[in-house]
Amino acid sequence: MKVNYQLIRIFFVSILFCAVDISLAQQDKKINDSLSANNLVIDSSLYYRVEKIEKEVAQEKKGESNFLVVGLATMGFVLNNNISNINGVKSNTKTNSLADADRFEISPLMLWRHGKKLLIEFEPSWDGKSLGVNWGDVSYFVKPGFIVRGGYLVLPFGIYNKRLAAGWINKLGSDPVGVANYPPSSDFGVEIEGGLPLGAMKWSYDISLTNGMQLMNDGTIQNVGIVDNNRNKTITGRLSLFPFSNSSLELGISGLHGGIGDDNSIHKSATTTMYSFDLNYVKTITSILVNVKAQFNNISISNERYFSPVDSSLYTFSNQTSSFFGQLSLRPTKAPGILKNFELAGRYVTYNTPLNSTLGAITNEYDIGLNCWISWRSVLKVVYENRAVKNIVPVNLGGYQSNTNLYKRLIIQYSVQF
Amino acid sequence: MRLTNKFFKVLAMSNHILFCFVLLFNSGCIENKKIAQKPGVLLWAENCQRCHNTPSPSSFSASQWETIGLHMQSRALLTENEKNKIVAFLQSGGR
Repeated sequence: MKVNYQLIRIFFVSILFCAVDISLAQQDKKINDSLSANNLVIDSSLYYRVEKIEKEVAQEKKGESNFLVVGLATMGFVLNNNISNINGVKSNTKTNSLADADRFEISPLMLWRHGKKLLIEFEPSWDGKSLGVNWGDVSYFVKPGFIVRGGYLVLPFGIYNKRLAAGWINKLGSDPVGVANYPPSSDFGVEIEGGLPLGAMKWSYDISLTNGMQLMNDGTIQNVGIVDNNRNKTITGRLSLFPFSNSSLELGISGLHGGIGDDNSIHKSATTTMYSFDLNYVKTITSILVNVKAQFNNISISNERYFSPVDSSLYTFSNQTSSFFGQLSLRPTKAPGILKNFELAGRYVTYNTPLNSTLGAITNEYDIGLNCWISWRSVLKVVYENRAVKNIVPVNLGGYQSNTNLYKRLIIQYSVQF
Repeated sequence: MRLTNKFFKVLAMSNHILFCFVLLFNSGCIENKKIAQKPGVLLWAENCQRCHNTPSPSSFSASQWETIGLHMQSRALLTENEKNKIVAFLQSGGR
């Protein structure tokens, strides 16, 4: 028997069309019923589009997740005048540059919130010479006053690195030498922190447990990274108190302790102990916004033996480093016109590295700047820096009889938070 | 001898951590009535300028302010009450 495939195909296609037609007719009936119930006349194609959008909106749970890119950019122009004097021989070097690695930065900050309790933060940074990561961590907001964090985090040591280092927050043109870069500011680990009320005052705590740092052969310490150099961990903590009910004054105290020596090295039992005091005072006094910031760091490393760079013999020294910065800025916030956008800032920095070592130096710096606030988050700064460095490396360790450097800089800098 | 020293060091550190937790959970919720009643606009003015200028409420959307609120709560160690009121003020467009 010859099968007529063509007829069968037509039959099935007809049935399919009928089924689709019935389904669409039923849907149209539903639409018409719904519209007539509301006394509305609407085109069905528009209805489908609205229905689709409604479904999409229903799938988006309000406040569930938010990904946000903010960050900052800092750039400008630096005029350098370096005067050095080694054993009475003077030399003078003058340079200028549009981008300067110490004063140029682009750092997008990615914030990814999931719900109301989970936040992922990631801030890569490019300073013109290297691409790095300032921090990358996950925070869980367990309960009021109790946050748990893990990842690559900023150590809770002092106030500068965690709160004041951004170009649009820093009132001067560069970071305070020593305070900002020594000890290293970020490490891998876990952290708990929180801010809590205390009657009319409030206080905060911030404690971290991290891999710790690594003691180098010259007696300095650096970041150890994700693979630890020993079995010890470093504990860092900061407690702060706001004694006034208007939060105008914050007093902080920090401490850090941990093993820093490489396992199976001559420094395997080396430890470091650090402490820091910080102060933050911001208050409008008779129409002038007074802003005072200060931090003192003391770094102590256990007595270890190091190789002399001159004859490779072993020698030891008291490995003590201290640094301090004090800063005052004034802004006439109630002044008429453009005057209220100007802010005058001054800063003193001192940084003392270990005596009787290859690291020995005494640094003193005075900075003065005039800032013009273009908006609440963008600023144009004109800053004069004067840094005097007296190197005091002993002659038997390769130093000079006298070695001083004077760095004078004029910085014109624009910084913006976006 | 070294082991004993280590034991005492660990004990001393544990005591410090314990002390912090006792402080945290026992005195953590004590808040002056006057402080608890501060409006968001006042807390925004007092707390943001501790580090930077006070942000304009129109700079970000409501959902973005919620994200920034969490970021700033951990960075500036704001209390829960402060964070909630500041975010609500910024989300309302400064009203």
